[in-house]
Amino acid sequence: MRFLHKVAMSFAALAMMPSVAVAQEARPFATIFKNPQCSCCESYGDYLEASGYEVKMVATHDLALIKERQGVPAGLEGCHTMLIGGYFVDGHVPVDSVNRLLQERPRISGITLPAMPAGSPGMGGAKTGIWTITDVAADGATSVYARY
Amino acid sequence: MSAKELLTTRRAVLAGSGVLALGGGAVAIFGAGGRTPVVAGANNGNLVLEAGKTSAPLAGENAAIPVWGYNGSVPGPAIRIRQGQAFEAVLDNGLDEETTIHWHGVRVPNAMDGVPHLTQPPVEPGNLFRYAFTPGDAGTFWYHPHQRSFEQVGRGLYGPLIIEEKDPPQVDRDLVWMLDDWRLNDRGQISGGFGSRHDAMMAGRIGNTITMNGKPSAPLIARPNERIRLRLVNAANARIFGLDFAQLNPVVIALDGQPVEPHRLTEPLLLGPAMRADLIIDLDSPTGTEHSIRDVFYEGLEYDLSAIVYQGEPIRKARLPEPAPLPSNPLSEPRLPSAERHQIVFEGGMMGMMSGDRGGMMSRNQSGSGMMGERMGGSGKMSGGMMGWTVNGVTATGHVHDPIITAARGETLLLDMSNDTAWWHPIHLHGHSFRVLSRNGRPTRYREWQDTVLMAPQERVEIAFVADNPGDWMFHCHILEHQAAGMMATIRVN
Repeated sequence: MRFLHKVAMSFAALAMMPSVAVAQEARPFATIFKNPQCSCCESYGDYLEASGYEVKMVATHDLALIKERQGVPAGLEGCHTMLIGGYFVDGHVPVDSVNRLLQERPRISGITLPAMPAGSPGMGGAKTGIWTITDVAADGATSVYARY
Repeated sequence: MSAKELLTTRRAVLAGSGVLALGGGAVAIFGAGGRTPVVAGANNGNLVLEAGKTSAPLAGENAAIPVWGYNGSVPGPAIRIRQGQAFEAVLDNGLDEETTIHWHGVRVPNAMDGVPHLTQPPVEPGNLFRYAFTPGDAGTFWYHPHQRSFEQVGRGLYGPLIIEEKDPPQVDRDLVWMLDDWRLNDRGQISGGFGSRHDAMMAGRIGNTITMNGKPSAPLIARPNERIRLRLVNAANARIFGLDFAQLNPVVIALDGQPVEPHRLTEPLLLGPAMRADLIIDLDSPTGTEHSIRDVFYEGLEYDLSAIVYQGEPIRKARLPEPAPLPSNPLSEPRLPSAERHQIVFEGGMMGMMSGDRGGMMSRNQSGSGMMGERMGGSGKMSGGMMGWTVNGVTATGHVHDPIITAARGETLLLDMSNDTAWWHPIHLHGHSFRVLSRNGRPTRYREWQDTVLMAPQERVEIAFVADNPGDWMFHCHILEHQAAGMMATIRVN
């Protein structure tokens, strides 16, 4: 219901402020599957919303199965799994990597930032070390997508 | 008798007289009808529990799903024995890997505790092990392997162990609800990935399919004014149940098998992995009424666990009077003024670096242990946030560690435990029951005896017990993935 409401709102916005609304319409909806007890996933959702994405949070005990279905490699899992524009985005991936993914639309399944690095979007604390975002092809092949 | 002497060959025991192998029909003894029957009498020294591969109707009678079970069923046989009478059972390992049986919550002699390497050699495939003890406490207990338990228990190796009071309270039915959850994949089979790091660093392996006594739950049909004793056992690896009984308004008479002052619930009954509760429910609504029992623990994922449906004529004219307390078990009362106090700090897991303000995790090894044996020194905070779990700064591997506490026999230990993590933990001590004295500095109302105490994130809990059972005893989180990822330690009683 919330979903439909927001779609209707964006059409209303389209009539009033076409340029802004068109930019928002181009952005696909994000669905974030998260452990019901993980608070940092909620913070990541807030971060994406603040970056202009429509976000739906779904609490689930089936994260492992969702990751398996999407092809997130074992050992490279982030704490939550986002589905957006036909890709998975696993973990606390900074929004400019998400933007780039959706603009360039590479032939991959998704990208992941494993675990929960301190300082990453939605996480507290200060950044220590380098974050490596990994892209994952449909056949499971991985390569470096971005470094922060 | 040493553990080694108890190890014997399959041939030797099976050649003995009168071996009773319980068949796969044990599932049928549960459920709506009547009292769970006795499958092992006190005089029956010939109970064999064969661990092996079988199948069970976890998602309904249409599909037999491959599982591991005792004697061909999940749960394994419901064992009912008498308080104070000798019990024996032979474990027959039909698995492809080593196993043991731990008699959870029963204050057994150390050699009977079923912890591989610590209290006995693990039982090799095809081998047998004879367990024998005389239970001093009555109550609701359970049995399960302690070897790779995150997979062995997770695939279905567990069963209820009911130790009856000498003079049990009169009830119309005495029922066991052994609760579990299973992670079934898109093909309807048990998903692999047991012990995955992702599960281990978060809430553990929580499933998507709930079973009660190995099957989907069915409504309990009851007659008005019936009195039921409901024994709840949480056999899940990681799922916490928060049961809302609403109008049923049960009376809690025991927790973790130990009698508690009878009381009604003021909030959902929290049952972490391995925990038990005995309830008396007087069903005083008219025929045609239906009450649901909801599990409300995980926000946004609440569901109806079961329901009670009233049918037929009242069993008696009016509901029975309030239940009396159960007779107490012979537990030694902790002597708090002379207690030896120990700080226990649990740390690690996802979001570990965000929790609390306790600072680093490597400097708090107060007992002087660690860095030796199989307890490895502080795992540290990896930049990825994927850290192990620690007890007093140490991530344990295997079952044999330097003890974090060594107590003289008869001494009262007071454990001041801090859960400095972002997750819940059911903390289990072997060989003893303890009083839960306080939570976050506030005395508990019932000073309940438990063997597994559920700690909320950031919660501080004080427990106390008399260290009166000699041996090396496991002390660990009963979210089995947390245990496997290091959240365990040993307490030694000389």
